[in-house]
Amino acid sequence: MKQDEILCIRNLSVQLSTASLFDALSLQLNRRDKLTITGPSGSGKSTLLRCILGFVPFAGEISVQGVAVNGRKIWGLRPQLAYVAQEPELGEGRVREILMRPFSFQANQHLRFCEEEASQLLERFNLSDSFLDQEITSLSGGEKQRIALIAALLLKRPILLLDEAASALDATTKLLIRDYLADQKDLAILSVSHDIHHFVFDNPIYRLADGSLKREQQ
Amino acid sequence: MTTVEISSGQLIAGYGLLLFPIVIFLWHSVPLLSSTFTSVLRMTVQLLFIGFYLEYLFLWNNIWLNAAWIAVMVLVADASIVKGCGLRLRLFWFPLALALSVGVLIPLFFLVLMIIRPAPLFDARYVVPIAGMILGNCLRADIVGIHGFYNALRKNEKVYFHSLSCGARLREAIHPFLREALNAALAPTIATMATMGVVSLPGMMTGVILGGADPVTAIKYQIAIMLAIFSGTAITVTVGIYLTLPISFTAFGILKHEIFAANNR
Repeated sequence: MKQDEILCIRNLSVQLSTASLFDALSLQLNRRDKLTITGPSGSGKSTLLRCILGFVPFAGEISVQGVAVNGRKIWGLRPQLAYVAQEPELGEGRVREILMRPFSFQANQHLRFCEEEASQLLERFNLSDSFLDQEITSLSGGEKQRIALIAALLLKRPILLLDEAASALDATTKLLIRDYLADQKDLAILSVSHDIHHFVFDNPIYRLADGSLKREQQ
Repeated sequence: MTTVEISSGQLIAGYGLLLFPIVIFLWHSVPLLSSTFTSVLRMTVQLLFIGFYLEYLFLWNNIWLNAAWIAVMVLVADASIVKGCGLRLRLFWFPLALALSVGVLIPLFFLVLMIIRPAPLFDARYVVPIAGMILGNCLRADIVGIHGFYNALRKNEKVYFHSLSCGARLREAIHPFLREALNAALAPTIATMATMGVVSLPGMMTGVILGGADPVTAIKYQIAIMLAIFSGTAITVTVGIYLTLPISFTAFGILKHEIFAANNR
């Protein structure tokens, strides 16, 4: 493992009922990298992120901070990752409870929920802190996406996986969030996005098509 | 006081009460006629058979025979639970039979050895009906609880994945689903206990009173059996869910969809 390497994927393939989704896909993410993957619908962008989290069975090798993702190690590796799903479903209850819940997990015992930090992030993402008292089920898709992103950021993980994490937001808010994330120097980001105009990072952009990744010309 | 005997003719006349639901079904075109006939027929045959069988069970009063009969009841209930939950029998029959046995035997032994203490201790007249009452309620609670647990997990997989992605262990990620399942399975018994004696005179108490015992004795039995039922249902649902976790999730903590029966996928 190279010193800066934080996530490494080698020869990845996912078996679907009729064919294999990836063609021995390989990818490397270094500390502080902010990498974007684009590609047509159904090319497997979301599946790639779900493989890293151990949500989809795969062949090949994925390692997080040098540790291979397998059934035994995944429980220690997920606390290194934060994930924002395309259409996040965060459970039931008020936003404050949703944000606080992960802090009760054993893996997050070293962290403390800071309401002030949550309020600051809400404001930063164009939401008032009154959202903390709102029922999560009453929020719109865009509001839920921002709450999911705040939940992920509060956990202070070194790697952030974003699956079309701003797809329900307007262009201004997308840029606002993109700029905020780009400023998080220590955070490595692997973002899957259709929107190459408003939600793309300056580091390499890859295009996933026909099972393999190709670096785009910037 | 002796119980008034019901003659066969009088019992047959009792079927006359079916006239009311049948007329209502026909009048409103409710499609329950054939299932009503099937269920009434099944109930009659099963109860006639069990009445005949219990007569000999009580007569012989052999502890091993009693245990064997309880085992048969557990296995029949077990198959019914797995089917009712829409899960695959081959995978689930053993852990759920174990959970059912634990849920029935702990309160049964507690009741027989500590509270009632009949002589002989495992008298068929006490052990078999009490086991049957606990088992019947465990069956209902298991179907509500375990079916609810696995189906809620399948329906709300994204919520479950969100917990996993936030670093939850399996036990932590399933916790909201387990809590809901236990709530759904146990709330009816809690509601029944709260209204007992005011809204309803329960079957067991009625049976004991009709059997010639005084109402105070009947009430004591009813309280004891309700506590046993409540405790048994809580045990069986919780143990049932925990015992089936290893076969229902991959090493990565992902729910295996092949655990669901073919007609429930």
